Amino acid sequence: MQRHIRTAALTVILLVPFLTSAPADWDALNSAQAATSYTYRGTIRAVNSRTGTLELITGVGMSLRLVRMTTAATTRLVATGAAPRVGDLKPGDVVRAECRRTAAGLVADRIEKLAAGTP
Amino acid sequence: MTRRWGAVALLLLAVGCQKPVKPGDPLPGLSRAERDRFDRGKVVFDSVFTPETGLGPLFNANGCGECHEDPAGGRGDEVEVHATAFRAPVCDPLVQEGGPVIQQHTTPALKQALGIDQEPFPPSATARAMRTSPVVFGRGLLDLVPDSVLLAYADPDDRNHDGVKGRPNRFVDGRIGRFGRKAFVPTLREFNAGAFAAEMSVTSPEQPTEEDIGGKPIPAGVDPAPDPEITQEALDLTDDFVRFLAPPSPLKLGKDGRRGRDVFSQIGCLTCHIPTLRTGDSPVPALRNRPFAAYTDLLLHDMGADLADICLGLAAPADFRTEPLLDLRGAEHFLHDGRATTLEQAIELHGGEGSGARDRFKALPAADRAALIAFLKSL
Repeated sequence: MQRHIRTAALTVILLVPFLTSAPADWDALNSAQAATSYTYRGTIRAVNSRTGTLELITGVGMSLRLVRMTTAATTRLVATGAAPRVGDLKPGDVVRAECRRTAAGLVADRIEKLAAGTP
Repeated sequence: MTRRWGAVALLLLAVGCQKPVKPGDPLPGLSRAERDRFDRGKVVFDSVFTPETGLGPLFNANGCGECHEDPAGGRGDEVEVHATAFRAPVCDPLVQEGGPVIQQHTTPALKQALGIDQEPFPPSATARAMRTSPVVFGRGLLDLVPDSVLLAYADPDDRNHDGVKGRPNRFVDGRIGRFGRKAFVPTLREFNAGAFAAEMSVTSPEQPTEEDIGGKPIPAGVDPAPDPEITQEALDLTDDFVRFLAPPSPLKLGKDGRRGRDVFSQIGCLTCHIPTLRTGDSPVPALRNRPFAAYTDLLLHDMGADLADICLGLAAPADFRTEPLLDLRGAEHFLHDGRATTLEQAIELHGGEGSGARDRFKALPAADRAALIAFLKSL
């Protein structure tokens, strides 16, 4: 009997922290799963620095697709030797964009301006 | 120069010791497993798609073999339409309006829904290009020529003052291109996967989304097959079939042909049509470190205003990739849009960076011109 009581107490002690913190963790986990990340490499077709929107041409062979995304205050822009702003990007620039899908569409977390010919 | 022809002579000697390769044959030296994949890939290549198996709703052809059928993997008589907008120095492939490949057919369901027989021509296009179906022989070899070789032949600033400025094109992600008439596509794999989507609107795991209809969403119910419409295995097999298609053996040269080969060199054709290229590393021994008759530098050259049509990537309207001279003897039309019906016409239509060689060709005695054509018809 004593052994059963000790096992039950130990189980409660171990489970309580998990049970009390679990809902918050599950929410974070679920939101992370919903915001699946995507990486696109392509050429900028259009950029609107006022709205923070970007159109990127990507594709496979001659089958090309247009990808639209928005930038946020937290979006990191990276380029060799400088930290550009969205307004510094222009049509024809080759970039790699790391995005996540939200209810409002694709949001860029990081945009890296690539030198022409980057493998 | 002597070394180049020495390499060609060695190559021809090597080829001469083997059974001649006919158009449509696999590369000599494939393993049994590779040959099996070639055969199984040919089945997919020759298959005909229907709307129920993934065709459309827009398309140019209902199977690879519709345009590459003469013989399997060869050329066809189809001509397709491409469109882009050139706003110098930027080229817009007009993806938002359905470009750059403008499909010429629709499935019955799309016709019923929108009343159209073909994809609408993009209103923002600055040019229209007609494109004949290229032969696909020897493309696995071209795929494996290292980028460093292409860059070594490039001379964008014409530092040797020969009037020829070869330069590589770049894909949308910045990689060096080599496939397609404007050398836009970097790899054979992407060219093949892209062709399923662009020519037949058959989605695959590598291009899983259908193209819009001139930039507008596909009407509900007109694309019944679930995406992707072919499996990775079917795509891999098709890719292997194309990759393993051998370039046909050149014909044995007679006296005229040998003279023509010398003329080809003397008038400067081989400045761009590099006779021999060598592949780099590959897991397939039949493709690894192989010299082969390519007659191309895979670079862009300005071919003059008369041939100019669309831009693509870094290629301006007048820029075209040096066409590999493979299976010329099987061709009935020449140049990117098939406008030339003889080899003489094709040479005489060279402009821009090709005008020097063209003028030297035109100044040749008739016998030398005939000899050059005899040589080209041996390829």
